[in-house]
Amino acid sequence: MLKIIVPTLMLIPTAWLSPAKWLWPTTLAHSLIIALFSLSWLENLSETGWTSLNLYMGTDPLSTPLLVLTCWLLPLMILASQNHTSAEPMNRQRTYITLLTSLQLFLIMAFSATEIILFYIMFEATLIPTLMIITRWGSQAERLNAGSYFLFYTLAGSLPLLVALLILQNNTGTLSLLTLHYSNALTLSSYADKIWWAGCLLAFLVKMPLYGVHLWLPKAHVEAPIAGSMVLAAVLLKLGGYGMMRIMVMLEPLTKELCYPFIILALWGIVMTGSICLRQTDLKSLIAYSSVSHMGLVTGGILIQTPWGFTGALILMIAHGLTSSALFCLANTNYERTHSRTMLLARGLQTIFPLMATWWLIASLANLALPPLPNLMGELVIIISLFNWSWWTIALTGTGTLITAAYSLYMFLMTQRGPAPAHVISLDPTHSREHLLMTLHLLPLTLLILKPELIWGWAF
Amino acid sequence: MLTRLSRLGPVLPRLLSNPSARFVSQSKPSGAAGSAAVTELHPAAEKAGHGEVNEYVKNPDYHGFSSDPVVDKWNMRLGFFFGISVALVIGGTFIHYLPDHGMRQWARREAERVIVQREKEGLPLIDENYYDPSKIVLPTAGEE
Repeated sequence: MLKIIVPTLMLIPTAWLSPAKWLWPTTLAHSLIIALFSLSWLENLSETGWTSLNLYMGTDPLSTPLLVLTCWLLPLMILASQNHTSAEPMNRQRTYITLLTSLQLFLIMAFSATEIILFYIMFEATLIPTLMIITRWGSQAERLNAGSYFLFYTLAGSLPLLVALLILQNNTGTLSLLTLHYSNALTLSSYADKIWWAGCLLAFLVKMPLYGVHLWLPKAHVEAPIAGSMVLAAVLLKLGGYGMMRIMVMLEPLTKELCYPFIILALWGIVMTGSICLRQTDLKSLIAYSSVSHMGLVTGGILIQTPWGFTGALILMIAHGLTSSALFCLANTNYERTHSRTMLLARGLQTIFPLMATWWLIASLANLALPPLPNLMGELVIIISLFNWSWWTIALTGTGTLITAAYSLYMFLMTQRGPAPAHVISLDPTHSREHLLMTLHLLPLTLLILKPELIWGWAF
Repeated sequence: MLTRLSRLGPVLPRLLSNPSARFVSQSKPSGAAGSAAVTELHPAAEKAGHGEVNEYVKNPDYHGFSSDPVVDKWNMRLGFFFGISVALVIGGTFIHYLPDHGMRQWARREAERVIVQREKEGLPLIDENYYDPSKIVLPTAGEE
């Protein structure tokens, strides 16, 4: 555990002490080496599921893929934001990298915490660097509005969680994930217990986000700089799913009745946000709403609490993390050239950037869950387990996948096909950096086809 | 209410300071578009984004990393080496040769071997009495 945390911590002095010219190359190489070593967590030798245990932290098959994803995303964020931050004053660039690094640090500690309170603290701590990234490096004045939405939605959701966790600590005497399974089953019958149940889940449902409390997400995504959007879509949303899977085990007898409205809301959200995507004009907003839609499926998979549901949720979270981050990077390459997120203003880019159009095609196909990709595997597993729970759900999930395909194609056709508009006169050619960035997103996704059990979670 | 308060944020300095200051967006001009009001504040020349001269004019081999050609080249090399050669190739090899977790692959191979063997011997694939009944010690009816 420390072999990742200490190098991540040392990335901060690296960012401040390396010469200005070599700031980006050193931090990029450093973070990629950390990402390489993070793969050692995948070596799962234990029979109990927990590995690399120390006093406060440990990994198990559920948290390992998310940890590796976190470590993989930092170099990608550095790579993605190099172009638009390199014109800023040196200290601001260093601060930017420091914030990204601290975010990785908090996320590692959140995903590997064995004590729920440590998880909770780190869950909250990730808000601070993210808020700074959005409100300081966002490009428009609306970023302040987006920042307050982001902060207060998540805080309002997670304060009840703190109270609920303290009650749980009072009743069971422990909040350790290692022992909580073995504590006596809680007798949950009163009305207050039901409120406690909601308090335990609300924070995560807001973070996911569940349809109805999702409004902060498109705003935050649209206003955030590229690295902020990437980390938000790829890892921060997954904190919600991860937390939910961890806490569900404790809520056992109540969930069976109380989860109905939430599952229905999540599935309804897939259809609704998908439909919203179909009429978006803003590229980043479209990708953000597509994230809400995919996360609705994840929420449904987690709430029905079957092994297949959990596995599908984890697969979809990892696959969606790489795919949506790739889409945000592609949107950013357009934005850096046309200086607009409006899809209508940058059409027919296939004729101008053929190779970039190939990346767009692959990323769009991954988003609509093309067969061999893990995206499809996750969606299918969740849809099947939901169908097994109640066959009415197929109406919503089926419509959802149809709409997902429709808006992915809409996004691809809108940006890539057709004649280039007359006002697009000269665009910078694509950079090797951007192609490297896309390769580093989509190659791991493709490689996961060959060894899917890495992201199966508890089922393997 | 909160959103209203935050909307006041950018307004307050405007009331207090000289309005010619660039207060709407302090970031680099390339990031400024998206809302029409903001773009208008920047002179047209800045709209090209990356400084006054296109990077490709200064450095035809521009890779998108840095305006210094040496740093640009080395940053590209480091990125490709550590990203592709080290993280994906070495990391991928490591993952491919991970130990067989829970002996699942072994179990599969063993099962296939046993099926072939039992079919050749004409035995059922799995015996009705998987464990030898004589070896199982059951508690007597009274014990529970």
